[in-house]
Amino acid sequence: MNVTTHPAGPPTAGGDSVPAAGAIDACKYYGVGDAQVRALDGVTVAFETGRFTAIMGPSGSGKSTLLHCLAGLDTLTSGATYIGGTYLASLSDRELTELRRTDVGFVFQAFNLIPTLTADENIRLPMMLGGETGDLAWIDHVIGTVGLADRLKHRPSELSGGQQQRVAVARALASQPKIIFADEPTGNLDSTTGTEILTFMGDAVREFGQTIVMVTHDPVAAANADRVVFVGDGKIVGEMSDPTPDSILDHLKQYGV
Amino acid sequence: MSSGSTVLLARKSIRSRLGRTIAIAVAVMAGVSFVVGSFVLADSLRAVFDDLFAELSEDVDLEVRTAQEFDGDSAREPIDVGLADELRAVDGVAVVEPTLTRYAQLVDADGEAVTPQGGPTLGVSWAGDNGLQGVTIKEGAPPQGPGELAIDKATAKREKLAVGDTVTYLTDTGSHQGTISALIGLGSGDSFGGAALVALDVDTALDRFGAGTKADALDIAVADGADVVTVQRAIEAMLPARTEVITGEQLAAEQADDVNQFVDQFGIGLLVFAFITAFVSAFIINNVFQITIGQRLRELALLRAVGASGRQVRRMITVEALILGIIATLLGILGGVLVARLLVAGFNAAGAGFPSPQTIIAARTYVMAAIVGIGITMLSVVVPARRASQIPPVAAMRPELGFTALRTKRLVIGTIITTIGAMLFVIGLFLRPGGTLGLIVLAGGGGLVLFVGVASVSSTIATPVTRAIGWPVEQLFRTPGALARQNVARSPRRTSSSAAALMIGVALVSAAAVFASSLRATFVDTLENAVTADYIVTDDSFQGLSPIVAETLAAVPELQAVTPVRGIAAQVDGDTKAFGAINADAFEKLVNPDLRSGRIAGLGLGEALIGVDPAKDLDLTVGDSFDVTYQNGVSGQLTVAGIYGDATFGNWLIGLDTLESVSDAPARDFFIIGKLADDVDAQRGDVAVNAAMEPFPQANVQTNAEFRTSQEAQINQLLIIISMLLFFAIAIAVLGISITLALGVFERTREIGLLRAVGMSRRQTRRSVRWEAVIVSMFGAVVGVVLGTFLGVVLSLAVPDDVISKLAFSPLIIVLILIGAVVAGLIAAVYPSLKASNMDVLEAIATE
Repeated sequence: MNVTTHPAGPPTAGGDSVPAAGAIDACKYYGVGDAQVRALDGVTVAFETGRFTAIMGPSGSGKSTLLHCLAGLDTLTSGATYIGGTYLASLSDRELTELRRTDVGFVFQAFNLIPTLTADENIRLPMMLGGETGDLAWIDHVIGTVGLADRLKHRPSELSGGQQQRVAVARALASQPKIIFADEPTGNLDSTTGTEILTFMGDAVREFGQTIVMVTHDPVAAANADRVVFVGDGKIVGEMSDPTPDSILDHLKQYGV
Repeated sequence: MSSGSTVLLARKSIRSRLGRTIAIAVAVMAGVSFVVGSFVLADSLRAVFDDLFAELSEDVDLEVRTAQEFDGDSAREPIDVGLADELRAVDGVAVVEPTLTRYAQLVDADGEAVTPQGGPTLGVSWAGDNGLQGVTIKEGAPPQGPGELAIDKATAKREKLAVGDTVTYLTDTGSHQGTISALIGLGSGDSFGGAALVALDVDTALDRFGAGTKADALDIAVADGADVVTVQRAIEAMLPARTEVITGEQLAAEQADDVNQFVDQFGIGLLVFAFITAFVSAFIINNVFQITIGQRLRELALLRAVGASGRQVRRMITVEALILGIIATLLGILGGVLVARLLVAGFNAAGAGFPSPQTIIAARTYVMAAIVGIGITMLSVVVPARRASQIPPVAAMRPELGFTALRTKRLVIGTIITTIGAMLFVIGLFLRPGGTLGLIVLAGGGGLVLFVGVASVSSTIATPVTRAIGWPVEQLFRTPGALARQNVARSPRRTSSSAAALMIGVALVSAAAVFASSLRATFVDTLENAVTADYIVTDDSFQGLSPIVAETLAAVPELQAVTPVRGIAAQVDGDTKAFGAINADAFEKLVNPDLRSGRIAGLGLGEALIGVDPAKDLDLTVGDSFDVTYQNGVSGQLTVAGIYGDATFGNWLIGLDTLESVSDAPARDFFIIGKLADDVDAQRGDVAVNAAMEPFPQANVQTNAEFRTSQEAQINQLLIIISMLLFFAIAIAVLGISITLALGVFERTREIGLLRAVGMSRRQTRRSVRWEAVIVSMFGAVVGVVLGTFLGVVLSLAVPDDVISKLAFSPLIIVLILIGAVVAGLIAAVYPSLKASNMDVLEAIATE
């Protein structure tokens, strides 16, 4: 891992946990003048290592933009985002690519897998791209845990939606990244399959110490997280620890969403 | 970075996108096959002729003949047979054999001249069974003395003649009789390449062919054990001036060269069309890559998101192209062998009479195949691969953000490219820096650049033009027609890219049409204004007509003037010029050469008529003299008797008597022109002329009008051949439209599903896709016709005035092209329209 540490490193949050990623006064504007849209309007937030955080908010609240910027997929208008000890703005495209490959895992709502590759190849893809084999024992363990051992030679089109998402989660875990970003990972799934995936993600955090940040608008999904951050109109509007579906709903009602 | 992963991804992608892969491979293959086919055909034909001529002169160790001063088209001067005896006395010389090839023709029992199918009628000398020129006896014994002759076995079979029969034959000296003593063949064959042969012993040949004591050449075989080089030196030492001795190998190579020059030109002509096909293929391949990258946008963005670098994405796309290029090239080489066979069969069906060659694939052919096949694939993928590498990772989740990366400043770049191309084309044609090579490189390269530019600019006019083309379609087919029209108009770039290949094919056909029409118009103009002759006698055998044909014609009382046109090459002021020799008194009545000064009739020995251009260049006026050196080495002076403006018969004319005074070469007429006497009507004239020409079947008698028609037919034939050679390119273009449309249908799966769900029938779906294809191909044809007409006009203007002085257009051809475009569209639509109409509605709607 060659990612250089920024000289003036990101703030270490007080208390027992060190942030795996975060944003400082992050702003993202689209357009100019009257037509300007403030997708992010001064967001400062930190995500602790080894925890499962959910970002919630209504459509257009800026939660997805925040996730994309945190993950280095999109750039900010002003402010900063960091992963581990590294400010993303300081990285070249090449370094950013390497960061994504080694330090970050992704699970998207849909179209997670390369259609021409088998499930197995999709899981190993980030390592393959780096010309590495990865930790084979770990990968086998992940595959075993996800329960896909008998579907490894199948192409995405031969897998169900739930199976496809499990492959995506397995891929995110396989390279042992510092943080996994998940964008509505259960949005396309029925509730049973969705719960399965969320439970699995929760297990990954608790058993393997994985850090996960997940965007969702579903209180039930968010309840699997250790902490929920609420976003509205491009700002952080609140947060909650150890949530339940009911407490989340109460919180949302409080803001009239 | 791992190259293993990019290769794996590329391989997987090729395998799982089979349709696209096959389409690209077919496009590459077509280009490669045509290139390989052209090389294989030319190489194989060349080998055949090399072998043939080597076999012919296998027994000839040395040949003595007159020397020529410089390269040109004059017939070689004959050589004194008396020299043979002196040669026989040289140490090491075993056999000396004078050779003669002249005109001779059998006459059958009914008095009809025997004509072979297509080949010439030749009279040859034959020294007997020790003959050196590859003649073999099939039956009988060599002819001896004036009473005997041998004929080729193929003619004997056809005319049912046998050894011992008495036959009549014609030569330059008239009609003769003889007994057939032998049937002969060439090597193992019964025929001499389609020619009908009369062979006489050497003395009889010299006499009957009117050759006097002069033969074409003296062939020599050296004694067993004698060294050819030593004998050659000994002969050289004793030869008179203006004679030379060459080896049999040199002779064979020279003879083969004459034929192979034609083979080479033919090969180069084919190659030009092969490269055009490859160029068109490159457009298709580029278009397919471009579209598939759009379709794979999310996939490529996902790769970026999970850690692939832009370079890896570009490399993956490039490797995909490379693998495809290599496979298609290998298949293309196989296809090329097939193409070569097809071309031979095709040209033979049209009467070319190529020998059936063995297949020769030279190392150079493999190299060219690889350069063309892999080259066009790699070149086509450069831009799409670069665009793919610029897709941002965020497009995995928000595809709309990715498409901006796929857009370019097409209009600006396209306009620049178009301008540069047009400039190169015009500079190459008119200024010709660097001579012929400059012309080919600049005009050809400029043309290609121009096509690329126009293809890219044409997207800006695609929407209005296709709306206009689509209007009648919408009136005819209502909703499906309207959908077709809108689908074409909504993605102008897609439309122009898929139409580009057809545009190029059509542009080339249109340019050729303008060129041919102008050529024809100029020719007709010349014939009407400059040629007042009523009859034109041309030669069907490519040997030239015997002077007795012109003499016979001149003796016809119904004609008032007849002149043959002969030729000799001569150097004036260091440049080789083609001189025509004529009977000037007759010429004046037959041709109106736009005399500017001096006179034509009464052209005397040592006088010349010259065109205004050379007169100006050399600063000559009537009465001036200039030095000439003829190809046989004779030099002298000519005095200008007249200066004329019309170069139809060339810029240099002398009298037949002047020609005879400087050259002993056997006279051969290119053609003969004649004019009816004032009081003779055309019908009576035709009867008289045809009767007089009956004994000379190779003399093709045509009236002025017939000649014009036959020449026009030749120009038309040229146009047809060009169009047929462009067939490959056009077929590839149609394939391109089909692929683009199929990919478009795939992209619009959901939309088509929706249309079907709300009640569009399968038939309407098919119809909509079908007319979409027709509108696209019509668009290509319209742009192509406009561009091609422009190119044709420029090309016609660049050609010298004596070839093209008048521009002409052919509305008929344009109409045919547009009809062809509709048909092309309908063919292109077959597969995509079926694919669209067979879609499962529910599945289609569920597609994201």
